[in-house]
Amino acid sequence: MWRRADLAVALLAGLAVAPGIAGGHGAPRLEDEFVKGVFSPGFVPPAAGSYELPPVKRVAGFVLRDSRGRSVSTGRITAGKVAVVSFIYTACPERLGCPLASQGLQHLQDKLKEEGLDHDVALLSISFDPGRDSPARLAKYARIYGADPALWRFMTAPSTRVLGDVLESYGQDRAPVYDERGRFTGRYSHVLKVFLVDRAGDIRNVYSAGFLVPDLVVNDIKTVLSDHARD
Amino acid sequence: MGLDVDHAARAHFVYRCPSERSAAADETCQSPFLPKVTGQEDYIYVWTLGVKGVGDGNDSMVTVDANPKSPFYGKMINRAPVPGRHEAHHAGFTDDRRYLWAGGLDTSQIFVFDVGSNPAKPKLVKTISTFVKDTGGMVGPHTFYALPGRMLISALSNAQDGSGRTGLAEYSNDGKFIRAIWMPKEAPYGYDVRVNVNLNRMLTSSFSGKKNYMRPFGELVKDGEAMKNFGGSVVVWDFHARKPLQVLSVPGAPLELRWALLPNHNYAFTATALTGQLVLIHQQEDGTWATKNIAEIGANLPVDISIAPDDSKVYVNSFGDGTLRVYDVTNPFEGKLIEQVKLGEMANMVSSSWDGKRLYATNSLLSQWDKPGDYWLKAYAWEDGKLVAKFTTDFNPVGRAHIMNLNSKAFGPKAARSAPGDRRPSTNVASR
Repeated sequence: MWRRADLAVALLAGLAVAPGIAGGHGAPRLEDEFVKGVFSPGFVPPAAGSYELPPVKRVAGFVLRDSRGRSVSTGRITAGKVAVVSFIYTACPERLGCPLASQGLQHLQDKLKEEGLDHDVALLSISFDPGRDSPARLAKYARIYGADPALWRFMTAPSTRVLGDVLESYGQDRAPVYDERGRFTGRYSHVLKVFLVDRAGDIRNVYSAGFLVPDLVVNDIKTVLSDHARD
Repeated sequence: MGLDVDHAARAHFVYRCPSERSAAADETCQSPFLPKVTGQEDYIYVWTLGVKGVGDGNDSMVTVDANPKSPFYGKMINRAPVPGRHEAHHAGFTDDRRYLWAGGLDTSQIFVFDVGSNPAKPKLVKTISTFVKDTGGMVGPHTFYALPGRMLISALSNAQDGSGRTGLAEYSNDGKFIRAIWMPKEAPYGYDVRVNVNLNRMLTSSFSGKKNYMRPFGELVKDGEAMKNFGGSVVVWDFHARKPLQVLSVPGAPLELRWALLPNHNYAFTATALTGQLVLIHQQEDGTWATKNIAEIGANLPVDISIAPDDSKVYVNSFGDGTLRVYDVTNPFEGKLIEQVKLGEMANMVSSSWDGKRLYATNSLLSQWDKPGDYWLKAYAWEDGKLVAKFTTDFNPVGRAHIMNLNSKAFGPKAARSAPGDRRPSTNVASR
C-alpha cells in the first residue's frame, strides 16, 4: 500500500508511477511543497457521522464503455453502492491534475480494502477524451494505477455528445486547449473534481486536489453509509 | 483545491505558489478551490452600485480593460446592468471560474453572470430571489466563496429584526439551495468567510445588521445604542464539519479575512473598522487560535485589506481618510507601516495581483455611508519599490465602484484563437 509519504515522493519525482502517461513539466519548488500538503494535510479529518453531507445535486446514470469494451450502465455498477467518481484522461500531462486524482483513488482503494468497505463502494474514473482513450488504453492506465477491476472501473463515453451529457450532469468543466494557431493541442483544461455519490444518485461531496485526502473521503463514505442505514 | 488541470500554471496558484503567471480580486484572497488567472489580467469586473438619475440607475457588472497592451487599457469596455438597485456589494467566481455570483445587501437578490462564454462581456443568466426564504430568514448575502461544486455565502443580517444575527448559506453551482448554518449564539454576527484547506479551518468575521448598514452614516454614528450593535468576534470553524470550534474576541467589527498563503504560515489577518487595528489571527502550538493587534491603523475606518503573495505585506484601505497603507508583515506579530498613498476623499476595496506587482482600488463602501464625490477605480504598480499610479477609471457616468474580480481572456472559450496580432496576456496563461 502507498503511504502518504510515498505518494508525495512519487509526485515529487515527476510521477514515476505513471511513466509515459504523465508528462514532464518543470514545476517550481514551492509547488512541490503544496503537493506534500495534499498528502500530508495539517489536520485530522472529523469523525465519520459527526457531521452532515447534505445532497448537492442529483446525477443521472449513463451507458458508457468499460475498459474491456463492453457497454455498461453506470447505474448497474453503482447499484446499492456509494460511488466515488473522477474524470480523467490518460494523456493528461499535468502531474497536479489527472495523475493526482488517480493516485488519490489508488490510495483510497487501499484504504477501503483495509476498512472492509470495498463491497460498499464503487470507484469510477470516466475519460474526458473518448476520441483517444480506447478501452485498451484505459485498461493499461488502470494497470499502472493498480486498479482492482472489482472495485475500480475505468470508462469512456461512446461519443462526445454522451460525454457532454455526463459532464453536464455532474457539473464538471472541460475545454479543449488550442495552440497559438488555433490547432487542438490534444489537451483539455478542467478543474480537478472527484464526486461522492450516494445510492440515490445524489452528490454528497465534491473533492478538489487539496481535499482529496483519502482518510477524509473514507469518513465521508462512512457518514453516507450510516445515513443509508437509517433510511 | 481547484486545480485546473491543463496548466500547472493554473495548478500552482491554486496551490498558492507565487508565480509570475498569476492575477487577482484579491487574487491572493480567492478561494483555494478556485483556479487563478495567471499572468497579466485582462479584465476587472466591478460590481457597481446604480445611482438614481445616473444613466438607467441600475446596479451593473462593469468590465474594465486591465491589459496595458490593449488600446482600451483602463477603459470601461462593457456594462451588464441588472434590473433595479440592490445595494451591490460583493461578488465571487464559482470553482470553475465560469460564473460570477454577485449579491445585493438590501434586497438579498443574487445575480449569476456567465463570464466563461465571453470573459469581456459578463451576461446575466440567473437571478436567485429566494435567499431569505431558502435560508430561513438570512438577509444580505455578502461574501461569495467557491467550494468544489458549490458556493458558500456569508450573510450580514436577518429578516426578523434586521440585527446582525445571521449565518452562512450554501448553494450548488446550479443555484440550488443546499443548507443554512446560523452563527453560534455567542458570536451571532457575520461578515467575511475564508477557508484554509491544509488546516481544515474556516474563519468568519463580524459586522452589523441591515438596520445599521442601510442607515445614513452620519445619523448612525450619533446613535450610541445603534453603535453598540457591531460584531466583535472572529469564529474559527472545523471547515469540513462546518462546526464552530473557537470564538476569538476581536472588538470593533473585524471585516475582511486574509489567510497567509505560504506553507506553514498558519495565520490570517483582519482589520477592525471601528477600532482601527490590524489584527493577526494565528494558530498556537496546541492547535488553538489566538489574536494579536500588530499595528495601529488609526481612527480612519479601515475597510478592505489585501495580502501580498509572499505574505510579506498587507495593504489596508481606509474609508475615512481615503488612504492606502502598506504594512510589512514579514514578522507577522509586528506590522510596520512602510508606505502610504492618498487615493482620494474615501477608499474602500483594495486588491493585489497574484504576482504582487499590481494593485487596484475602488472607493464606494455602502450607498448610505458614501461621501459625496467622485467614484473611481485606480490602478497602481510597484516600480522601484514605490507604488506608481497607472490609470484611473471614472465611474461617475455609471454609478459607484465596489468589489473587483479579475479575469483573463484565457478563461474564455478557445482563447488562443484570437485575431492575429491580438497577443494573449501571457504565453504562460492557461487557455481554455
